[in-house]
Amino acid sequence: MARASHPHAMAPTRPGRTRTAAPMMPAQFPLSGRYFTYTLFGATGALYLLAGLVALRVIWALGSGPAAWQSVMTQLAHPLYVLFHLVTLAAVIFVGVRFFRLFPKAQPAKIGPAKPPPQPVLHVMLYVIWVAVSGGLALVLAGGIF
Amino acid sequence: MKELLLKLEPVIWLLFGQGIMIGTMLLTAWLAVVGVGIPLGIVPADALSYDRAHALGANLIGRLVLLALIALPLWKGAHHMRHVSLDMGGLDRDTVVAPLLYGIAALGSLLAIVAVVRL
Repeated sequence: MARASHPHAMAPTRPGRTRTAAPMMPAQFPLSGRYFTYTLFGATGALYLLAGLVALRVIWALGSGPAAWQSVMTQLAHPLYVLFHLVTLAAVIFVGVRFFRLFPKAQPAKIGPAKPPPQPVLHVMLYVIWVAVSGGLALVLAGGIF
Repeated sequence: MKELLLKLEPVIWLLFGQGIMIGTMLLTAWLAVVGVGIPLGIVPADALSYDRAHALGANLIGRLVLLALIALPLWKGAHHMRHVSLDMGGLDRDTVVAPLLYGIAALGSLLAIVAVVRL
């Protein structure tokens, strides 16, 4: 059953002349039905934030010299770090799959005289770019090229 | 504060959007190799020896990629966490939550600039 939401959620800055119903929180929010993936999508924000901070720490160590670099690489081998990175990798793939499915649907019908490609083409293009960028960077980092 | 956040919304949205788009593409490779592959021995550790890692990161393209790798996920994370908080009925606490999260993202981005400049 739907329940009351915050009384000022979605409220305009100035009240209109037309009376509107008070906002209600959907009954399935936050973890049931289609809201589960919506909430999960938002919750990946915590992992992205932490992953960015860990990356900052790693690059900072790279600028601090060989000893700091070796130390941070040793720390990254700790099981908790590996577990965190595995979970974050799964979250990143989830975000990519969901976002690249939504992205074509969110495009305007026209930008000036130009029309975007059909949705399935755009969807495939995003996957091609994702595989190319991620695969290329992974090859560079793993010593496959350069 | 609410007015300032509304004025900054287009910039924050731009960084958030690029955090999802570019951040996801860069993080996939970074996590697979640096976070999982090397620690588990799937990728040889000398692939990112100090000399090689420094050579890869200390040129213009390397610095830009590393800056994007750090900063964009911070903005994606901050904006998404703020909206999770709002969805959970956090309109009243938003004047604290939003500046805190965006503050972390902004400070982290500034430190990321310093980190890539000092390579």
